[in-house]
Amino acid sequence: MAALSPPSDKVTFWYGCNVVRHGDIIYNAIALLEAVGMEVTPAGGAGYCCGTKKDANLTAAQGMGRRNVEKFNAHNTGQVVSWCPSCYRHMNAFISQYTEPQFDLSHFIEILYERRDWLATKLIHPVTKRVLLHQHLGFHEVDINPMVIALLRLIPGLELMTTSPLAPAHMCSELSRVPASLKVVNQQTCESMRRSGADTLATVFHSCQRLLCGLEASESFTVVNYVNLLAQSMGLVSVDEYKDWKLAGTAQAVIDRLGPDRVAKMGEPFFHASILPELLSPPIK
Amino acid sequence: MISFKGKPSADHLVEHLESFIQDTLARCTQCGECFKACPMTEYGPGLKEARPQEAVAGILDWLKGVPNHATSLDWLKVCTQSSVCIKACPENINVMKMMRTAQISALGSLGAQPALKSRDEKDFFRKINAFSATQLTTEEIEKWQR
Ligand code: SF4
Repeated sequence: MAALSPPSDKVTFWYGCNVVRHGDIIYNAIALLEAVGMEVTPAGGAGYCCGTKKDANLTAAQGMGRRNVEKFNAHNTGQVVSWCPSCYRHMNAFISQYTEPQFDLSHFIEILYERRDWLATKLIHPVTKRVLLHQHLGFHEVDINPMVIALLRLIPGLELMTTSPLAPAHMCSELSRVPASLKVVNQQTCESMRRSGADTLATVFHSCQRLLCGLEASESFTVVNYVNLLAQSMGLVSVDEYKDWKLAGTAQAVIDRLGPDRVAKMGEPFFHASILPELLSPPIK
Repeated sequence: MISFKGKPSADHLVEHLESFIQDTLARCTQCGECFKACPMTEYGPGLKEARPQEAVAGILDWLKGVPNHATSLDWLKVCTQSSVCIKACPENINVMKMMRTAQISALGSLGAQPALKSRDEKDFFRKINAFSATQLTTEEIEKWQR
């Protein structure tokens, strides 16, 4: 039987760059870590970019790697918990080879899985959904799919199906480099949803949520990241605003949903040139 | 969980890549198992008919800094880090890292003539900052992102 409360551990939660589109995922991930006893120092955004995209500029890549290790060492938590599989991979395979990290590196799912007995005591609200899990096969460093499956099975009322084919790459953003492959994966995903009779597609990674959530415009299922399902079962209410913008359909509807203040904060010309095209582009199908 | 213990094996990134390259060149037997296992070859022109050993030889050429513009480049273009290649390698080479290092070489970062386009996204950081401002409070950005 689980002890009444988990041991407290200080961790730096390295949420990454691209996940900042999904504040709901960041807040829920922090809430989940706290629920299993972690004392969390969040870190992410451009100032903590791992540099994995900088292969064409190794001076920049190295500078970013060193900067992150220095900042994490200064956090003095002794443990960095990464959300993003690319950050995890880049820290492990490259950055740690020429720096001196004074911390251990874990992936977010490993912490929750290790402390799943405590997590289970917090998952008290039924989530009555028929869920199909969207899975990739590329995150070889951490066997994430079985762990996500085990955690989702702790949610009362949730019926989980795992019949979707394993997509190549470690997450959908990598597949988007080869659009034909992303198209095949998306078609297979929609087909699996139809065949399974599921009403909810659960994504594991933020980039899958980003690239798949727009399917709701044309399909009869919802797309939700798994941490939001866990958070819902803890009684937390979250809004996937990014999905809301993706489903807005027109430029004016996106602006209405964002509100003029936030558009102004982004800078109107930049919003129109760079943000809006992303939000208006439908998923490849 | 990974523990990073002791001194790093290299002082800087290029030194690490050079040592990874030497190790890989010494151990790879060019058996082609990684290419045969790759789930992405159906998306590259000419890869379906390519000889696995030749494709791998081309990757090793990139590691040596010798441009190889045919099959190997097509393979590098469709690599999405599926990691299936790692499990397929009988020599326990991190083939995904081998592919990534060959990509780095084909981008021109290790001295060869560039043959691949950079994956650097235009306005990447500006976009990250813009989305952050919509999702996090000013205090959170100040505390979490500096
Ligand atoms: S499977 Fe391993 S040994 Fe065989 S060609 Fe690929 S990297 Fe070389």
